[in-house]
Amino acid sequence: MNENNIMIRLQDVSVKYRLIRERPKSFQEYVINYLKGKRINARILWALKDISLDVRKGESLGIIGLNGAGKSTLLKVASGVLKPVEGSASINGKIAPLIELGAGFDPELTGRENIYLNASILGFSRKEIDEKYNSIIEFSELKDFINTPLKNYSSGMIARLGFSIATEVNPDILIVDEVLAVGDAYFKKKSRERMLEFRKRGVTILFVSHNMEEVKNLCDRVLWLENGKIKLVGEPKKVTAEYQSTISK
Amino acid sequence: MGIFLEIHELYRYRELLRNLVSRDIKKRYKRSTLGFLWVMLDPLLIMLIFYIIFAGIFGRTVGNYTAYVISGIIMWQLFAQGTKVASLAFINNRSLINKLYLPKSIFPLSVVASSLVHFIFALVPLFAIILFSGTRLSYDLILLPFVVALIFIFSLGISLTVSTLAVFFHDVVYIYDVLLLAWMYLSAIFYPISILPKKFLILMSLNPVYHYISLFRAFLYDNTIPTTEHIIWGTVFALFSFLVGWVVYLKNKDRIIFYL
Repeated sequence: MNENNIMIRLQDVSVKYRLIRERPKSFQEYVINYLKGKRINARILWALKDISLDVRKGESLGIIGLNGAGKSTLLKVASGVLKPVEGSASINGKIAPLIELGAGFDPELTGRENIYLNASILGFSRKEIDEKYNSIIEFSELKDFINTPLKNYSSGMIARLGFSIATEVNPDILIVDEVLAVGDAYFKKKSRERMLEFRKRGVTILFVSHNMEEVKNLCDRVLWLENGKIKLVGEPKKVTAEYQSTISK
Repeated sequence: MGIFLEIHELYRYRELLRNLVSRDIKKRYKRSTLGFLWVMLDPLLIMLIFYIIFAGIFGRTVGNYTAYVISGIIMWQLFAQGTKVASLAFINNRSLINKLYLPKSIFPLSVVASSLVHFIFALVPLFAIILFSGTRLSYDLILLPFVVALIFIFSLGISLTVSTLAVFFHDVVYIYDVLLLAWMYLSAIFYPISILPKKFLILMSLNPVYHYISLFRAFLYDNTIPTTEHIIWGTVFALFSFLVGWVVYLKNKDRIIFYL
């Protein structure tokens, strides 16, 4: 396989969270605990354990699993938000995450100002944003509200703006975490079409969803996570069928 | 080296830095009627308070008391407002840090940078007051950017340290608040150091902000202040703070997300 075609490579990645029951919140407590010789009362939870994964250019990878299986943590590692404690993660190319749309929005600023803010949060330059500005507005269909502060937008409008920004700025890797669930039927259809168009263009997509139909339609390969480990990875039809038969048991 | 990587990333995200600074400035005064005028009114009003209370006491010892006070206030605010807001830089942006990859140091950096922008606007009332009070500006005025650079580097170092520690121990925010209050009284903003007993003078030379304020006054209008010592100490403190700040931040930056 051509090495240049690997967009995301995870090697033996493990991430642990320390679920701390009584984390010292202050110096005082910390010092007292230290003097008492009390060990911090923590339970270690491995959110991901020994994950190795290559995501090729143009591939769209579905990630499924029950709540708490480690899907979000995997997305965080794959997008560079979280450095794995063990193992290594290397990422090539610009990432646009659609994790909780609007995380980078400011309600006091106008739609226009938020486009610039949000796109720059994704690491895009002013020039790149200028070039895309009109098509972002066009796709979001928010032209009439673009100089209104975001606090007056409905949540559907905010979702539209977020989706438009993340997809118009031409990312190399698109990370989608259950966002198609927001917005009305019309916008859902529109954004699904856009995702398919992305696939055709060769953008790498990581797609987390509980909707198996959507996963089968959008993905080339599906990864099933269970308790932080890869349970099964492979052909979408096969993996989703296995997954569904396990859940329904 | 981690620091070069981080600086490279900060450069790549420079548009975000610009947007964060302009958002801060737009938002801070958006709801007020006088809006951005407050940037200039604020130091004037503080100066007025100090003047009313202390002019009777120190006005005779210090020549140009108005110039003395307002230059002290404006320099102090550049440092104090920046680092105070920056202490919460990671905590306030936790939702972003949790979801997106960013060079996290962009948050304290943007706060200190927007404090610098405020400072630049506050120069308007500063020069107005100085000229109005009949004080003559110094020819060393062109050296002002040097002092500003020093206090900026110093503030950035403190901000990186305090904001990182605050993630792990929230108390740091409150401790720093109180510390700032004490620090302000120790920085010779509204009194001349000649009123201090001799043994305190050594302590003053350990106060970095005092060096920056003195240099600022020297370059602005007061040729009688000897500058060599302030330049040396000011530079040493700025570099030291900068170094400590980056070490503290870089050592902990990948752990921050687990504690936010």
